[in-house]
Amino acid sequence: MSFLDYDFMHRALIAAVLTGLAAPAVGTYLVQRRLALMGDGLGHVALTGVAVGLLTGWAPVWTSVAVAVLGALAIDVVRAKGRASADVALAMLFYGGIAGGVLITGLAGSTAATLNTYLFGSITTVSQDDLWVVAILAAVVIALAVGLAPQLFAVCQDEEFARVSGLPVRLYSMLIAVMAAVTVTVAMRTVGLLLVSALMVVPVATAQQLTRSFRTTFALAMLLGVVPSLGGVVFSYYVDVAPGASIVVASLIGFVLAWPAGSLLRRRRARRSVNGEDPRVTGAHVPTEQHPHQHEPECGHPTVEHGDHTDYLHDGHLHAAHGRHYDEH
Amino acid sequence: MRSAVVDVRRLRVDLDDRPVLHSVDLKVVEGEVVTLLGANGSGKSTLVRATVGLVPAADGEVRLFDTPLKSFHDWWRVGYVPQRTTAAGGVPATVREVVAAGRLSRRALFRPAGKADRAAVDHAIELVGLTDHATRSVASLSGGQQQRVLIARAAASEPDLLVLDEPNAGVDHRSQEAFARALRTFVASGRTVLLVLHEMGPLAPLVDRGVVLDGGRIVHDGPLPTPPMTLTGPPDHHDDHREDYGAGLFG
Ligand SMILES: Nc1ncnc2c1ncn2[C@@H]1O[C@H](COP(=O)(O)OP(=O)(O)O)[C@@H](O)[C@H]1O
Ligand SMILES: [Mg+2]
Ligand SMILES: [Zn+2]
Ligand SMILES: [Zn+2]
Ligand SMILES: [Zn+2]
Ligand SMILES: [Zn+2]
Repeated sequence: MSFLDYDFMHRALIAAVLTGLAAPAVGTYLVQRRLALMGDGLGHVALTGVAVGLLTGWAPVWTSVAVAVLGALAIDVVRAKGRASADVALAMLFYGGIAGGVLITGLAGSTAATLNTYLFGSITTVSQDDLWVVAILAAVVIALAVGLAPQLFAVCQDEEFARVSGLPVRLYSMLIAVMAAVTVTVAMRTVGLLLVSALMVVPVATAQQLTRSFRTTFALAMLLGVVPSLGGVVFSYYVDVAPGASIVVASLIGFVLAWPAGSLLRRRRARRSVNGEDPRVTGAHVPTEQHPHQHEPECGHPTVEHGDHTDYLHDGHLHAAHGRHYDEH
Repeated sequence: MRSAVVDVRRLRVDLDDRPVLHSVDLKVVEGEVVTLLGANGSGKSTLVRATVGLVPAADGEVRLFDTPLKSFHDWWRVGYVPQRTTAAGGVPATVREVVAAGRLSRRALFRPAGKADRAAVDHAIELVGLTDHATRSVASLSGGQQQRVLIARAAASEPDLLVLDEPNAGVDHRSQEAFARALRTFVASGRTVLLVLHEMGPLAPLVDRGVVLDGGRIVHDGPLPTPPMTLTGPPDHHDDHREDYGAGLFG
């Protein structure tokens, strides 16, 4: 029998595709913002959420979303305050998350084996209800990551510039934190809470060895998230290991394979790249194309002094008289 | 009388509970080009950052285009170039992508960039002379070229006011010249510029007024002490003339 004959495998594979798309999508923004380890911290915090679910009997999917989102907002507030102690405060939140998770799980009378299925994923435990929650959350995260790409790009590239552009930077910053928290929960059943961060970061790191634009990095990272996620789940069907481990090892293999290709590509680009300068900057002589109009002080074109002569602003260009024609200045 | 584009009154700014600016007054009117000068740590960056609302005023007030900063929303009218050494982030991005971010103040959510947006981005890239590099990753550019990317990003919203914080610090000669060109074009169109400079270089002839800061206070506000033309000669790109000026225009 093939793995496709089992319902649990269908669910695990669907969850893997959604996780493989959502994690690198959010991860690209985290890496761009130089917050690569944020997913890691949120995974720790989400563990406390899972434990609360085990203790109360509520679905761990929901309790972990709730706790991870609270953790994400706390991290974002501490980060925005920009205090020197932010680093330490975050570390405490992370340790607290994992210690609290283990403690509450113990109180709930659950075993370490149960906890393990959340820490490193488990292909047989994705229930139909879980899948619905995961699918909806992942769809929302992916839609926001794609739909708000221009705004999120600007905020992650240069927060201060984004603020002076009038973007609600605090809101976007919190949105990214919440998206990361939701992704952690989406990924909990496939790659697991302890390794989710790898699936957010490694595909991005692999992609950016090969790309030079944000757009292609983003798209390639999503592809490089899906392939190891599917491969890891299938591998875990045949060999009894936690899918988290096989997914992450697979994506690390991708990184190692992309390394030589990346350096080759960079060398080729460097050789081919035009090192040419705009001729107007080097002082080369650049006459205008056809120029029937004659500039003069009252001609209506704005002027600006340029050394020993006057430039006229004409069609967005500066024109200076030169003999019988005009030059681009 | 021309209206005030930047109007800073009795501004005090505290950073880490320490006063960094003391009762600063600064007015820039439409079409003016004003330079902030002063030693390192004299508060130039803090003043421009307070002007664009990045640091709060502890006392006094800041108005942009006759509107108090709190109720100012037309951010596309302001192009800001922060004091930076790089335009690159943690993920590769092309020159065009970074410059396009400057257009967001004019764009609606969930709408693709329109024709006018793309044209404005192209024009901004052309303005700083990077058209041939538009699809390159910003991280692969020289420091001066990256600085020009930041200037193009600020110009992409077609702003009425440019605020630049040391846009030409430590950049190569060609990027200085490219920046001077961009600024000339901007100034020729009658728009307003507030810029922090370390040295005037080829920009001196464009500047109307210098404001000198020292220890968070303004110690000089007026025409520049040195006649501009003695600071630097005109650029020497007229030396290879094949025709003679004496031949007369349009003979
Ligand atoms: N984020 C900050 N927190 C505390 N003090 C600061 C901060 N940024 C700058 N300062 C202080 O404010 C003063 C003015 O700095 P700045 O405006 O950057 O000067 P300039 O741009 O003229 O070099 C300096 O003494 C600097 O140490
Ligand atoms: Mg400064
Ligand atoms: Zn004319
Ligand atoms: Zn000229
Ligand atoms: Zn002309
Ligand atoms: Zn000529």
